[in-house]
Amino acid sequence: MSSYSREIIGELVAGTLPWHQTKRIMSAYKDEDRFFKVLSVLQDRVSWDDRILLPIGDHLFIAETPRGRVTKCECGHEHGDYRRNWKLTAHIFVRKTEETLREIYPNSDLPDPRWMEIREFICPSCGILHEVEACAPGYPILHDFQPDLEGFYRDWLKQPLEG
Amino acid sequence: MLDSTHIAMPLRDRLLDSERMMAETGCYDGITDLRLRQDNPLKFETLHTKLRALCVSAREMARRISASPGVREVGEMVVAIYTPEGDAIALSNGIMVHVHTMSRFIKWMIKQGYEADPGINPGDIFANNDAFIGTVQVPDVMDVVPIYYEGTLVGWAGAVCHELESGGITPGGDVCLAQERYTEGLFVCAEKIGTNDAIRRDYVIRCERNLRMPIYWVLDEKAKVASCIDMREAVKGLIGEIGLDYWMRVSKEFIEEGRRGQLARTRQLTVPGIYRGHTFYGHVTEGKPGFQPLGDPNWLYNIPIEMEITLDGTIKLDFEGTQPWGYHSMNCTPAGMDGGMFVTLTQHMNYEGLVNDGAWMGTELKLPYGTWTNPDNEKCATATSWALLLPAYGVFQRLLSRGFLGRGFVEEIFVGQVNSPMIEMGGESQYGTQFGMAHFECAAAGSGALAIKDGLDTAYVGWNPESDMGNIEIWEQNMPMLYIGRSIVPNSGGSGKYRGGCSFMSTWLINKTPHLRLVTSEHSSRVFDNAGMCGGYPAPTCQMHRVVRNTNINELTAARLPIPHTTGTDPHRSDLEKLVTGDHLTDEGPYISAPHKSGDIFTHSYNGGGGYGDVLERDPVKTAWDVENGFLTAESARNVFGIVVRENLDTDEMEADLAATAAAREELRRERIRRAVPVAEWMAQESTRIRDQKFAFEVRRMYASAMRLSPRFSSEFRDFWGLEPSFTFGEKP
Repeated sequence: MSSYSREIIGELVAGTLPWHQTKRIMSAYKDEDRFFKVLSVLQDRVSWDDRILLPIGDHLFIAETPRGRVTKCECGHEHGDYRRNWKLTAHIFVRKTEETLREIYPNSDLPDPRWMEIREFICPSCGILHEVEACAPGYPILHDFQPDLEGFYRDWLKQPLEG
Repeated sequence: MLDSTHIAMPLRDRLLDSERMMAETGCYDGITDLRLRQDNPLKFETLHTKLRALCVSAREMARRISASPGVREVGEMVVAIYTPEGDAIALSNGIMVHVHTMSRFIKWMIKQGYEADPGINPGDIFANNDAFIGTVQVPDVMDVVPIYYEGTLVGWAGAVCHELESGGITPGGDVCLAQERYTEGLFVCAEKIGTNDAIRRDYVIRCERNLRMPIYWVLDEKAKVASCIDMREAVKGLIGEIGLDYWMRVSKEFIEEGRRGQLARTRQLTVPGIYRGHTFYGHVTEGKPGFQPLGDPNWLYNIPIEMEITLDGTIKLDFEGTQPWGYHSMNCTPAGMDGGMFVTLTQHMNYEGLVNDGAWMGTELKLPYGTWTNPDNEKCATATSWALLLPAYGVFQRLLSRGFLGRGFVEEIFVGQVNSPMIEMGGESQYGTQFGMAHFECAAAGSGALAIKDGLDTAYVGWNPESDMGNIEIWEQNMPMLYIGRSIVPNSGGSGKYRGGCSFMSTWLINKTPHLRLVTSEHSSRVFDNAGMCGGYPAPTCQMHRVVRNTNINELTAARLPIPHTTGTDPHRSDLEKLVTGDHLTDEGPYISAPHKSGDIFTHSYNGGGGYGDVLERDPVKTAWDVENGFLTAESARNVFGIVVRENLDTDEMEADLAATAAAREELRRERIRRAVPVAEWMAQESTRIRDQKFAFEVRRMYASAMRLSPRFSSEFRDFWGLEPSFTFGEKP
């Protein structure tokens, strides 16, 4: 069964592992100890001590905090209970004019802003762009992911969460 | 001794029995233990690999028989071996979407009582391209032959080729002008087209008299039958070695093993829970010649998908809330939807090659009746079902990727496939003959980004994982158009920390023909039909067609003046307009127009993939390489990514100015924070707009249709915006 050092996994997550090594990992049987190694790498990357339970974005995690299990940005900004849609407590910028769409698409044919808008969900603290939605105006904001966190730790990882 | 009491039962009873046992035991065909695998795993695995190998070999052989550049060059073919009940045991590479659609075709014949009439006998050949029986669209023509061993039906061999011409209302196979079944072309509805290993002459005559380019279809038929016979004889040889009883059991165990493997992989690679995504598609035909006034000419499609991964590892996809079927060619059937699921699974969860129908059995699809995913009218057209199918399964790829992200398998995260704008043509060829053809260079789009690297440039489509655009010279042999450009389209990948793969554009000079009909399909108007992930932007997929008729290109070439090779990077004035005189046209939506003639110029661009991650985290060095090589413009690098790239006059290469980049990024980040508002504040403004219904007609109608078809969509929409239970959208223009 495959297994890789924490350093290799760290480079893989950072996108700095050389391609030939990455390709080998992609082609091999998956390493069963990956999840906790990745958590360890991510835990080292953040400046706060709350335990990361699950990554749900490139810079977004579910973490165990004194305030309960919350969705938390890498910068430390918290978006509240992880079962609620974190986007509702983010900041948003909506591209719905030719001028603002052209900023991102300088050379292309554009969508019709009456039919589609681009929504950017931004961390109010650090300004990281967590997610982008391209949708019709008026479309409800997506709740991208509602993990069965307890079931995952209990039945799949065999390490039930406390509380 | 193995239990063989089922073998003598009539086939239909056997199929129903198999389905009953699956329902009762939860295991395929009631196979609750993999005893052959347990007894001799080496023999088991070796046999499975042999089956896979003989499928691959049969397909490669058959491709040499075909006359079609789609099959020969691009590999638009797949072959597979099935159980007597029609479940796939092993398959080749290629257009694997059809492995499961062919399964539906075989089961349909069995359930319709084909044993009794028209009979199923050794040497018979059955063909089908009816999507409501089992395929995706009319050009996907499939042939199956039964495999008999000493008088016992022991399985089926099947093959599919995508035909480049199917004889519809417009030339090609993806007939975008088809608005009902009756204009899609030549249908072969689960028909016995041959006996004693020979295709019937009267069937060939029907093909010859109803297709614009029968040589493609007819030789593809011969290629498929040859591959089926090749597989059949190889399976019989294998049974001679391992014994009939062993074969009848082991073929079922392979499938049950595939089912268990799929569930185990889901538990290994993902996280249980509810995942949601959506995409959109804009269909604009208003004022275009040929479209009958059967429905509204313009339509905005929403494609929401909710995916549940249960604790046992089952993946459930639910399309609740999407749009109704319509009088256009983009409808899909459950067979096509199954096929889309199957081909996605083969690439993202079962990539070791030993995949079979067992993987599909580890999933569930909820396709609301009456929607484009499951029409309640079997007379509707499905000729361009990929138009909605590809964006939909691009969403599925992103949903799966969210699961991979949660589990830490970052190397498997993939922003997904994009749509494949097709160009099809017919008329008088450069040889003075009648012709018709779908151009398959679309089989090489830009892929979505990965979470660790950029997407593939001009090298991926979801529907044919071999993804090959084919050689220019081969395409030029088959159509009266010459390439004057085939170019990477800068900035065509969605922006992000890792950008989507870039697309390419072809620019053609129409040559040596007085009459060339050009038609395009499967490209969205007015909305992007893809998305980014984790902060990445969607790829710009609203390309229009730019065309020049009656050009002065002959004068330009005679005077050795520059001619255009692409439309260029100025969205307001193309290179065509800058360099060529003539009648210029910029056209939105499916291109359909009066015939072209020699000297006209036509352009057609394909799609890039969506991006991953925040643009402000992109590697400046890699970006300089992108600018140097034409994947990004310096303007885009600066304004979108905040990366300042300059030319080093000593080395004559582009280099990133890291200090200027840091300052530019900081400026963009500050501006981003300054412009954004709290979501709650934005929602308060938007809910007023919704109550006032201040939307374009097509947007209002999209909501009204979704709410009419789906109580769940209605209640979720109203709940989100705090609307009263009676709220609905008005549908008047």
